[in-house]
Amino acid sequence: MKYAALVLKNLVRSKRRTILTVLSIGVSLFIFSALVSVPTAANQILSDTASSTRIATHDKAGLAYPIPEAYKQRIMSVPHVEVVLAESWFGGVYHEVYDEFPNLAVDPEQADLMWPDYGISKEQFEQFKKIRTACLVGGDTMKRFHLHLGQQIQLRGTLYPFNVTLNIVGTFSGKAPPNFLLFRRDYLEEAAGRPGMVDNIWVKIDKPENVPQVIAAIDEGFANSSAETLSESEAAFIGSFMDQYRTFFRMAELLGFIVVLMIGLVAANTAAMSIRERRGEIAVMRSIGFPSRTILSMLLAESILIGLAGGIIGCGAAYIVLKVFSVGNAAGPLGSIHMQPAIAGETLVVAALIGLFSAIVPASSAARRNIVDALRTVA
Amino acid sequence: MDQKHAIDFEHVTRIYKRDEFEVRALDDVTAQIATGRFVAIMGPSGSGKTTMLNLIAGIDHATSGRVAVGGEEITGMKERDLAGWRARHIGLVFQFYNLIPVLTAFENVELPLLLTHLTKAERRAHVETALKVVGLADRMDHYPRQLSGGQEQRVAIARAIVADPTIIVADEPTGDLDAKSAEEILSLLVDLNRQFQKTIVMVTHDPRAERYVDTVYRLDKGVLAGVEPGKRGAAPDAAAHA
Repeated sequence: MKYAALVLKNLVRSKRRTILTVLSIGVSLFIFSALVSVPTAANQILSDTASSTRIATHDKAGLAYPIPEAYKQRIMSVPHVEVVLAESWFGGVYHEVYDEFPNLAVDPEQADLMWPDYGISKEQFEQFKKIRTACLVGGDTMKRFHLHLGQQIQLRGTLYPFNVTLNIVGTFSGKAPPNFLLFRRDYLEEAAGRPGMVDNIWVKIDKPENVPQVIAAIDEGFANSSAETLSESEAAFIGSFMDQYRTFFRMAELLGFIVVLMIGLVAANTAAMSIRERRGEIAVMRSIGFPSRTILSMLLAESILIGLAGGIIGCGAAYIVLKVFSVGNAAGPLGSIHMQPAIAGETLVVAALIGLFSAIVPASSAARRNIVDALRTVA
Repeated sequence: MDQKHAIDFEHVTRIYKRDEFEVRALDDVTAQIATGRFVAIMGPSGSGKTTMLNLIAGIDHATSGRVAVGGEEITGMKERDLAGWRARHIGLVFQFYNLIPVLTAFENVELPLLLTHLTKAERRAHVETALKVVGLADRMDHYPRQLSGGQEQRVAIARAIVADPTIIVADEPTGDLDAKSAEEILSLLVDLNRQFQKTIVMVTHDPRAERYVDTVYRLDKGVLAGVEPGKRGAAPDAAAHA
């Protein structure tokens, strides 16, 4: 601790240089943590949302092709199936085109059994089952549009040639996607003229280990029909949405690491300059009796502190920006990107490593340099 | 090695390699400096004065021969051990003061004490005493840039004495000072030698220094050319010529 004051004094030796170095590391780590948060958040959404006992069944050709609603009954007869619920994508917008968020129509009767993990109260589920225009809204969408329980809202149809007027009876949290809106499919069916087709059928089974068996039974049951099905676990289903972003995720991660590498080189150059200027002082300290290892530790501590200060600034800025971004852009599966604590920790470790590796070579060299030679440079 | 000798050089040679050239900075020098003396090492540029001082201070290694300081042979010591040894036994004063610019006078003087087990309060007491000895008790919170050259050198001397070293080595301590400040610094070194019986070895070009020291060691081209009494009047130390 007695060397701490010495380290801090040296940190403020050139305030402008220290501030600029901290800021440059801060900016790069802001970019790094924001970019790395995207794929991590996506994976987090997947693991947070996906249940191990829910299966999604849709047309083998893709979600754009509906399947008959009548499939529900046949799926219900498959062993281990407990709940079956149909879903259709409405794709409406709130006020303007950019006010979009995922909105779907679902069968209300067994919604509470299908999604007990969505944090919806029993009373709200009861309301949802009773009121034909009822809807359940995710917390982020409620916040984004300043909605409240009991409010009536209208969604403008984009895929369907009509609008739906809905009453908010509940909001979900827990494992539910925070930006979704669910309303009753019977309302949509009636407005659409009862086409009898659905986009997806959710299936809840008794035990996770029966998932492969049930998937096989469902898909075999509809093989060679006019609408063959593809069933997949919820994780795989959500993951298939994420897949379209995979390349972007990899690019984001790669860019993050390139930015860190670049700033690492800049920081190394700055550290080298700073230490070079102090070679004489370092030699004086060694001649006084400071061991090389103590001097090396102090130089590295300075550099690590600079890195950490940049890391805290970058991380804090990324946290705030992502928070604002996620509230303002709740549309789509990637709408809710928050910085995970693990990313914050990882960013701070990277910050400390930038500090460490940028200074280790010049600091080691200065701490071990021949004292007489170094003193000669002062004179 | 004789305990009454603060410094013992036995056939010490120091050769520097500069690219393909070899420079024989010290050539088979044998000399002793008695404990409690104030001595000057004098000679023209390139005569090996600073090399001899560096060897005494343990910041350079002899190519051959033996160097003992305070009865302890330092020739074969490893750098890690030498650092600890320097902290305990050597107080260094440089021509250009070499104070740390971001530290106050107090903090500069405190530096050697950071290597000890003294408490903060004990360190403060030692630093205050050292600064009082050099007459700068009222400049403790001043940064080097706020001090004159003579004052900076006094702070450097306070730093050299604060850990109560066995020997003070001073490399051209008056070389960057005006005549008045130089006289003051030399007087201060004499006081330290007299009051605290510190052995002081000083490299200097300054002919005035002869009036303050007990003994003058003259080097020429790396060879000990002579040992003379200083004009202060003390007898020369026993010295053997190569």
